[in-house]
Amino acid sequence: MNPLSRQEPYVIQREVKPLDFLAAGETASDFKETLKSLGIPPEICRKASIVTYEAEMNAVIHGGGGIIALELAGDRITIVASDEGPGIENVSLAMQEGYTTAPDSIRELGFGAGMGLPNIKKYSDELEIETELGKGTTLRAVILLDPSGEEVSDLCRTV
Amino acid sequence: MKIRDILGNLEGVTTHVAAGEDVEITRGFVGDLLSFVMGSAPEKALWVTIQNHVNVAAVALLKEVPLVLLASGRVPSLELKDQCHKEGIALASVNMDSFEVCGRLFAMGVRN
Repeated sequence: MNPLSRQEPYVIQREVKPLDFLAAGETASDFKETLKSLGIPPEICRKASIVTYEAEMNAVIHGGGGIIALELAGDRITIVASDEGPGIENVSLAMQEGYTTAPDSIRELGFGAGMGLPNIKKYSDELEIETELGKGTTLRAVILLDPSGEEVSDLCRTV
Repeated sequence: MKIRDILGNLEGVTTHVAAGEDVEITRGFVGDLLSFVMGSAPEKALWVTIQNHVNVAAVALLKEVPLVLLASGRVPSLELKDQCHKEGIALASVNMDSFEVCGRLFAMGVRN
C-alpha cells in the first residue's frame, strides 16, 4: 500500500467565475499549496497544478465559470471540473493540440492556443470527459500518487 | 547566476518588481502561449515573454518562476506588477526583443 494512501478522502472545491482573468490561476495555486502542505511529492503537485490550471482556464474562458474540486483519496488525486457552459461539440478535435474555439481577443492574451485539454491529458493518468451540448461539461482527471507501473488510460464520452 | 547579475548584465532593463536578487538561476524559457509555458517550461527557470497581463503571474507562480523578463520593452499591467510583488516574483522589462534577450542570456550561461 502506498504510504501516502489515505483512508478518509480529503476534498476541497472552489468556484471559478466566468472571464475573471484576475482570479484565474488562484484555484490551481491553492490546490498546489494544499497538496504540498499534505506532503505530496513535488512532481505530483506539479502535475495536479497544471491539470487544475488548464481546467480552471477552460471554465473561465469557455464554460461560463464552474466548480473545480480536488479529491485526495487512496492512491490518487482526482480533479473534477464542472461547468454549465455550451459543452464541447467534438471532444476528439478538442483533444488535438492546436485546435481551439477561443476568440481572437482571448488568443491575444496567450490563452486559447489549443493546448488546454492536451496538457490535461499529458499530465493525468486517467481522464474522463462528459459533455452535452447546451448543458455543460464535467472533466474528471486522475493523478496517481505512485504512477509507476500504471498504464495511462483515457475515456472520453459524449453524452 | 544570480538575478541581480542577470539584470545587471543586460542593457535597457527597467526593474518593476525587485525580488529574490540573490536567487541563483541556471535555466530559462521563452514563450507567449501560456498553456505552452505551463506544459513545457522547466520549474524555477526565468521566463522571457511579451505577455504583460496579470495571468503571467499565475503561470509564473505555478512554475515557480523567480524572474519574468518582459521583452521588447513591454510594460506590465498594474495588476501584474501588484501580483508579482505579492508573490515575490522579480519582474523587469528589457528593451531588446525576445530573440536578442535569449541570446544574451545564453551567452551568460543560462540554458533551457
